[in-house]
Amino acid sequence: MKLELGYIQITDIQFSKESKVENGTLFVDADAVKAFMYEDDDVKEWVKSFSFDIAKPGESVRITPVKDVIEPRVKVEGPGGQFPGVIAKVDTVGSGKTHVLRGMAVVTAGKIVGFQEGIIDMTGPGADYTPFSKLFNFVVVAEPKEGYEDHKHEYEHAVRIAGLRAATFIGELGRNVQPDSSESFETLGIKEGIEKYPDLPRVAYVHMLQSQGLLHDTYVYGVDAKRTLTTILYPTETMDGAILSGNCVSACDKNTTYHHQNNPVVAELFAQHGKTLNYVCNIITNENVYLADKQRSSDWSAKLCRLLDLDGAIISQEGFGNPDTDLIMNTKKIELQGVKTTIITDEYAGQDGKSQSLADADPLADAVVTGGNANQVIILPKLDKVIGMLDYVDTIAGGHAGSLRPDGSIEAEIQVITGATNEMGFNTLSAR
Amino acid sequence: MESPLKICVITNNPLVVSGLPKQYLVDYADITYRQILVKVRDLVYAGYRLYTHPLSGSVKPNETPYKSVVVSRKPEKMEVAEAAIISASIETFDKFRPGKRELTAQIQKDFQLVDYALLCGALGLDAAAGLSIIANQKL
Repeated sequence: MKLELGYIQITDIQFSKESKVENGTLFVDADAVKAFMYEDDDVKEWVKSFSFDIAKPGESVRITPVKDVIEPRVKVEGPGGQFPGVIAKVDTVGSGKTHVLRGMAVVTAGKIVGFQEGIIDMTGPGADYTPFSKLFNFVVVAEPKEGYEDHKHEYEHAVRIAGLRAATFIGELGRNVQPDSSESFETLGIKEGIEKYPDLPRVAYVHMLQSQGLLHDTYVYGVDAKRTLTTILYPTETMDGAILSGNCVSACDKNTTYHHQNNPVVAELFAQHGKTLNYVCNIITNENVYLADKQRSSDWSAKLCRLLDLDGAIISQEGFGNPDTDLIMNTKKIELQGVKTTIITDEYAGQDGKSQSLADADPLADAVVTGGNANQVIILPKLDKVIGMLDYVDTIAGGHAGSLRPDGSIEAEIQVITGATNEMGFNTLSAR
Repeated sequence: MESPLKICVITNNPLVVSGLPKQYLVDYADITYRQILVKVRDLVYAGYRLYTHPLSGSVKPNETPYKSVVVSRKPEKMEVAEAAIISASIETFDKFRPGKRELTAQIQKDFQLVDYALLCGALGLDAAAGLSIIANQKL
């Protein structure tokens, strides 16, 4: 399977009466985006209003509480469309040609539950901890209709769909734009791969998906990952929007849809493919709450690694606590099949960094890359403008009573920052 | 998945009491998150099976006061792996600084909701449907 990504570099976003991409500037008619979002019945049913804003790198702007971050893309050649099984029909994606609006994102924000979190600072010390401070962000803030308190599942669904629809609308603007550059990614069949790279180690990416329930969900071709069995994807399917985030809790280490579209493990394995290793495939597996599900899913991960005759596997997890058990089960069982593993995680090692980092461990999990310590304390200065709302800050993950100080600054753990300790290794924090 | 008739939900979440179908046995007590973990640990040590992960959810143990854990209704034989999971969960709980914040009634409800939804996900129940039934009963 072969996918070509054509990158259209976005260097500015402006509101306009006409929506288009011209000379690197995205012009957006917010009313047209709103109308496109409201074409969905669930959005119509649960979202009272949307407001729109633009946040640019370096501006004194804080976006919060962030729900999802999405990169706008459009399929220009080949089967399928963006966000298959949710927005586009469920056709298999990952081949043909997709245009990418690079350097920007659609950010959805607004309260769903009272303790929600997720901060993107566009300047100051907080900006260093989130990759999204470097992007031009088109921000959609959603307000629920009255009575939504008893229907938060439905409201979360509506806001998730709204964000994907906004990204679809904007992505479509890149359809007839000549990309500034392009790249191709190809995965061969098993036999072809062995014949072409007989001397290279066979490596797969075991991609663990958050799948515990409300605000902790991931969707694969529209299917709730908790209802899936461990299976195989072409890496380009992930790059082409097959995996979507429904995860709104634990800002620092949730994988947004943008992370899935731009998974750095996939990117790095492709960069090494045919040189130092043979990148065989992605194995996706879930992180359910039921212990028997964990056993089944990790048994299947190990079974597939063996069946594929792998030499090595990179394993990334998503979340804290419960997924640590899946991570260790996967690692241990895959190692026992004779396949070498390296895991990517983050740490909750206490504010002094001295505590045990994970809730589970095993001697076989002896190669670990960390995305940083989520308990690290940071002070975020007051910024000139807030997109969204700050009233929840005292209750967010990593915040505490008094987090929002009288001068408008915030004292909190870096848990509050979207993407700070990403467990795909997307961000720059680590430890040696 | 075990039959509802073979499991027991240990919880301090009042929403679980009202939100599960009748065939589920719910052992509710107005105790802390940590006390729930200790109660589950003692049951697991006594041979009750542990069916769900005690640290379900990315909401940290020092943020939410609510926790539901599923165990077997009857003791069997102690499973070492399950005992290790509950023990490690208590160690992890103790690693977090105790939360000092005052939770508003709405935020308490939201924490109850997430715990309930995660429990339903584990049990293969539709949390949204359960909540709709509860909401309709209130009307």
